[in-house]
Amino acid sequence: MGSSTRNMLKGIIAVLFVVIIFTQTQLDPQIREIHKGEKTAFQGLSNEFILGPMLGLQEAVAGALWVRADEFFHEGDYDAILPIVRMVTWLDPHQLDVYITGAWHLAYNFTDSNERSDRRYIPASQKLLEEGDANNTRVYDIAFELGWQNNDKIKDFDRSEFWFRTASTRKGSSKGGEPTEPAPLHVRHMLAHSMEKQGRIEAANEVWRSLLAETEPKLKASPNDFSLKSLHDSERHNLNLNLERMFSRYTHRINFDVEGKTTRSVNQVTGEPSPNTSFLSLDPAKDGAPVGQPRPAATAIPWKASFDTVRNGHTTILFPQPRVMDIKGIFNMGDGSRVSVKLHDDNYKESSSQSFTFDIDQSQTIMMDSLSVRGAQWARKIDMSKDPKMYSFSRPAYYLVLSFDPRTTAPFIQDRIGWSGEGMSNPKYEWIVKSNHPELGKKDNKIIRKVYRITREQIMGTKPVSEADVIPNDLYDKIQAEQTSPSTSAAKPAGE
Amino acid sequence: MVTMAIAKQTLEDMLRRKILLILLIVAVGMIALGPSVGFLSPRESSAVLRSLGLAVILIAGLLITILAGIQVIPTEIERRTIYTVLSKPVQRFEFVLGKFLGGLFTVFVMITAMGIVFLGVLYFQEGHKFAPEMMKGVVMTFFQMMLLGAMAIFFSTFATPVVNFFMSFSIFIVGNMSSVTESLTSNKNPATKVLATFLHYLLPNFGNFNIQNKLIHPEVKLTNENVFITQNIVYSLIYSAVLLILAILVFDRREV
Repeated sequence: MGSSTRNMLKGIIAVLFVVIIFTQTQLDPQIREIHKGEKTAFQGLSNEFILGPMLGLQEAVAGALWVRADEFFHEGDYDAILPIVRMVTWLDPHQLDVYITGAWHLAYNFTDSNERSDRRYIPASQKLLEEGDANNTRVYDIAFELGWQNNDKIKDFDRSEFWFRTASTRKGSSKGGEPTEPAPLHVRHMLAHSMEKQGRIEAANEVWRSLLAETEPKLKASPNDFSLKSLHDSERHNLNLNLERMFSRYTHRINFDVEGKTTRSVNQVTGEPSPNTSFLSLDPAKDGAPVGQPRPAATAIPWKASFDTVRNGHTTILFPQPRVMDIKGIFNMGDGSRVSVKLHDDNYKESSSQSFTFDIDQSQTIMMDSLSVRGAQWARKIDMSKDPKMYSFSRPAYYLVLSFDPRTTAPFIQDRIGWSGEGMSNPKYEWIVKSNHPELGKKDNKIIRKVYRITREQIMGTKPVSEADVIPNDLYDKIQAEQTSPSTSAAKPAGE
Repeated sequence: MVTMAIAKQTLEDMLRRKILLILLIVAVGMIALGPSVGFLSPRESSAVLRSLGLAVILIAGLLITILAGIQVIPTEIERRTIYTVLSKPVQRFEFVLGKFLGGLFTVFVMITAMGIVFLGVLYFQEGHKFAPEMMKGVVMTFFQMMLLGAMAIFFSTFATPVVNFFMSFSIFIVGNMSSVTESLTSNKNPATKVLATFLHYLLPNFGNFNIQNKLIHPEVKLTNENVFITQNIVYSLIYSAVLLILAILVFDRREV
C-alpha cells in the first residue's frame, strides 16, 4: 500500500470520527431518555450480579434479583427483600411491582410481636412510592398505590384524594403493555371513597354519577361483560347508598327500592312517612337529584358521647410492668366503634428525608393501635416490652393520645353522628379540626380526643398515670404543628 | 469477489467449531427455559422473560463474537496458511475484510437462530401473539456485536488472542458504561471532564445499543424509536469502518 493511499485512509478515519462524534451527540439525549431514573448500582451488588450491569444488562439483572426477592418473600424473610428492592429499582426504575411491593412491606409488614405496624417506616414507604411515581409518570399504578396507602394506612384523606386524582389522569396498560388505555375505573371508585372519607359526599356523588354515565352505555354495548357489570353495580350501589344516607340520617330510614324510581323517607319510630317527605329521584332524566323537601338533620340534639378513662375517680391507664400498658375506657357510640391509641415521643417527627432511605431513627418511639368498643367499653393490654427496637422509650416524656374520629368510623356509627361528627357532643374532650378546604365543601371535623403527657418513669411503672397528666387539646395541636414534618406536606392538597 | 470467497470460507470454518456450536445450543436452551424462571415473579413474568431472553442473546453473541474475532487472523498466521493465501493474487485489505465479513456472517447466523427461538418462546408464553418489537432488540444486539467484532479484528492484527480477549472485553465493559461517562462530561473537575469526554466520544459506546429498557417496559418514553435505532446502526457501521481501516493500515505493515 502506497503512502498516498495510507494518508488518504488516515484522512477518511479523521472524517469518519467527526461523523461518529456528531452521531454520539445526537444519541446522548435519547439515551438519557431511555435510562431516566436508572442508577449504576454496582456498589452493594453481590459478585454473581455485578457483571450484568457492566455488560449493559441492567434489566436482566433486575429481573433475576426480583426472582430471588420472590423466594425470600415466600420464606417470610421480609428483611432480606428490602435491599433487593433498592437494587432493582436502581437498576430498572420501571418495574412498578417492585416499588409497590417494597412499599407494602415497609408500611405493613414491619410489625411488633402483636402485629402493630412500625409507623416509623411509613415515611420511607411513601418516599419509595414517590420515587417510583416520578420515574413512571405516564402510568397510574404507583400514584394509585400512594392513594391507597394514604387512604388505608395513614388515613390522610386529603393526600389520598390527591393521589387518586393524579392516578385517574394517567394511563393504564393495553393488553400489549403500551400505556394507551385510560386508567381503570376502580381508580375513580377510590377517588370517590376518599372524598366520602372527608365528608364531601356531594363531590363523591358527582364522581359516582360521572362513572355511571360512562359504564351504562358500555354495559349496554357489552351486556355479558361481567367485570364491567360488577363495576357498574358497585357504582350504582354506592351512589344510592350515599343518597340514602344523606336523607335518612340520624332519625329516619328510607324504604329503599333500587329498582324503583323514587325513595321515600319514613319515620324510624312510627314507621309513617315523614311529614317532610323527601324523595330522591333515581330517574336518569333527573340525574338522581333530590326532589321534595329534605328534612332538617337531627343534629339539633346531638348524641351525648360518654368518653373517658376514669372510673371511681381513678385513671384506668396502668403500667403494671415496665413498657406494658393496661388501658381501659368507656365510650357509648355503639359496639363496633373504635378508639385510637397513640403513644409517641414528645418530640416525635416523621422522617423529613427528601429521598428514599431505609435508615430510620431507631431511637424514636411511636405506637399506634385501634381498640374496638364492646358494651360501651374498650380495653387492651399493650405489651411493648418484647420489642425494644421498636419501642426504645429513650425520651424522658411522651404523649398518649386517645381519640375517636367520625371520618374513619364504620358507616352504621357514622349514620348516628354524621360524617363529620355533627351529631355528637362531648364538651370535655371534643375537638374541632378545622376544614382546610371549606371552598370545596369540606366541613370541620368534630373528633373526641384526650391527651396525656406522661414521663418515662410512668411508662416504666414507677409512677402512676393520673388526670393531672391530661393536657388541653389546643396545646397538643400547637406542639404537633411545630413539629410537622416537611414530608407530610409533600403532596398538594386536594383540589389544587 | 476475493473478499466474499474468504468470508465464505471463514464462515464455514467457524460453523465447524464445536465451541461456538456448544455456545449456541446452551443459549438456545436457556432461552427455551426462560418461562420456568419468569413464573416465579408472576406479575413481572413478561418483563423477566423478555429481559432474560435478550440478555442471553447478548451474552452468547458477545462470547461468539469475541471468540470468532480474536482467532480468525492469528490462527491463519499460526497455522501458516496465511502464506498460501497471500501468495495468491489477494490483497491484504481483502484478506482482513474477508475475515471480518466471515466472522460477521457467523454472528448473524447465531443471533438469528437465537432470535427465532426467543420470538417463538414469547409467542407461546404471551398468548400466541408475536412480539415483533423484540426483533429491534435482536437487531441492536447484532449491530453492537458488529462493532465489537470489528474491534476484535483490529486488535488481532497486532495482539495475541489472549491479550485481544481482555482488551476487547475491557473496552466492551467501559463502552457499556457510556451513561456514566456521559454524565461525567459535565463534571466540575477539569481532569475528570477531559478524561470522560475523551472516553465518551472516542471509545466505542456499546451502551448506545441497550434498548432493552424500552422494549421490556413499553411505558418508557422515547421520542422517536426508529430514529434512535437508525442512528445506532449508522454509528455501528461508521465506527466499524474506522476500525477496519485501522486494521488494514496495521496489517499492511505487519511482517507475516
